[in-house]
Amino acid sequence: MPEEIVKYQRSTRVLHWIHTGAFLLLFVTGLIIFIPAFGPAAAGGVTRIIHRVAAVLFVAIPVLRFIMGPSSSLSGLLKAFVWDSGDVGWLKAAPRYYFLGDEKAMPAQGEMNSGQKLWWLITVVAWVVFTITGGIMWFGKETINPGALTTMVLLHDIMMAIIIPMIFVHIYLGIVHPLMTEAWNAIWRGTVTAEYAKKHHAKWYEEVKGK
Amino acid sequence: MADKAILFDATLCTACRGCQAACKQWNENDPYPADWGDRLDGDTPLAHNRGSYENPADLSPTTWVKMEFREYDTSGGMAWYFTRRACMHCTEAGCVSVCPSGALRHNADGFVSFDKTLCTGCGYCGEACPFEVPRYTRNIITGQSVMDKCTLCTSAGLNRLNEGLEPACVKSCPTDALVIGERDALVSEGRQRVSALQAQGYGNAYLYGEKELGGLHVMYVIPDKPEVLGLKSDPKVSGLVDAVNVMWPIGAGLGVAAILGLGLNYIVARANVNKEK
Repeated sequence: MPEEIVKYQRSTRVLHWIHTGAFLLLFVTGLIIFIPAFGPAAAGGVTRIIHRVAAVLFVAIPVLRFIMGPSSSLSGLLKAFVWDSGDVGWLKAAPRYYFLGDEKAMPAQGEMNSGQKLWWLITVVAWVVFTITGGIMWFGKETINPGALTTMVLLHDIMMAIIIPMIFVHIYLGIVHPLMTEAWNAIWRGTVTAEYAKKHHAKWYEEVKGK
Repeated sequence: MADKAILFDATLCTACRGCQAACKQWNENDPYPADWGDRLDGDTPLAHNRGSYENPADLSPTTWVKMEFREYDTSGGMAWYFTRRACMHCTEAGCVSVCPSGALRHNADGFVSFDKTLCTGCGYCGEACPFEVPRYTRNIITGQSVMDKCTLCTSAGLNRLNEGLEPACVKSCPTDALVIGERDALVSEGRQRVSALQAQGYGNAYLYGEKELGGLHVMYVIPDKPEVLGLKSDPKVSGLVDAVNVMWPIGAGLGVAAILGLGLNYIVARANVNKEK
């Protein structure tokens, strides 16, 4: 039996998947308004209710995580904002690594590799932007001036335009890419093999083994 | 252009408000719903003095046209202008450009028609309209909302124009301050009336809507500057609306680029990762 290491604990995984479900509902109900050909499907306003219910979940999940563990949440959150030369090393090695499978040039990565950290940063920023712009669009509809409301729609759309390609990349790297063989298992069952950890997250593996 | 238009001549208007009544009656938009602060007799708001002849106080989902009374201090003494407020049926219509479901679109005559069954309640039309015309019924918690506005009497099931009838407001007008016809002909007519007004000493007389927003399909002959009659000079659809509209091709482009890029990555990576092994 290959040695298994816990990467994501149960609470992390549960919150991830609830958040994923909420995001997908938001994505689809938002896309219907965004893609002109699908607009008529939003007639009558049912998708507006679904969008709001999912929005409450989307906003609440990170808040819930924070309440469940304020200091671990804060330290996890701050990781999104620490960038150094190690990340530059990832960036330089990334084209050969992700296209040609050249693992030798890729420097040792932590629990989140630089790419995962970038996605983490984007999702943190997106949560703030969607919550603020969405909240104003929802509750400010009759009180905020038209120009400001249109600005909220614009910022909401810009954030969405960034998320669209990144969510495809996230799903692709998690499930499809030939090198990321255990990424799915990490977020579904919570574990990776020691061998995978050594290869993909060597710095993290050393920390875990050191305990 | 075979476009039609309404010409409203503010100098012929007596503010009888037959147009308001006719519009409500024809479009089944009565009774007038209560506003915040109204005292009620059952469901019906009691009349009260707002200090103005204007009634109702504002456009609403069931008030698609209303008259405004505007006092203006001119060099020749106090002027009391009457003017109409309703959808201007713009050629460059911000509402049409932002409507996600196509509920708002231009019809063959150039008017902005509205299919209420397609309304999603997003509210973008009201945000895009330079004249702040669209009005909504809305539940702020659930987001359920429906817009309504003047459809130039082309509402489904209540389409007067298809039957060769004038819009209700035009038909009701006792002084023919409101007329409907071919837009080009009404532009000429409007210009003639403006010249006549200028000859009478109304130096600021103007045909509003001839060129504004690509040409409005409700044009006004006005005796003074647009601001005096509560209209914007040089109305424009906000650049923010154009920015929102450009997000669709940008988002679609990024999505397609991502899918193509990832597809390419898969083809290349699959071949090379196996090679390494």
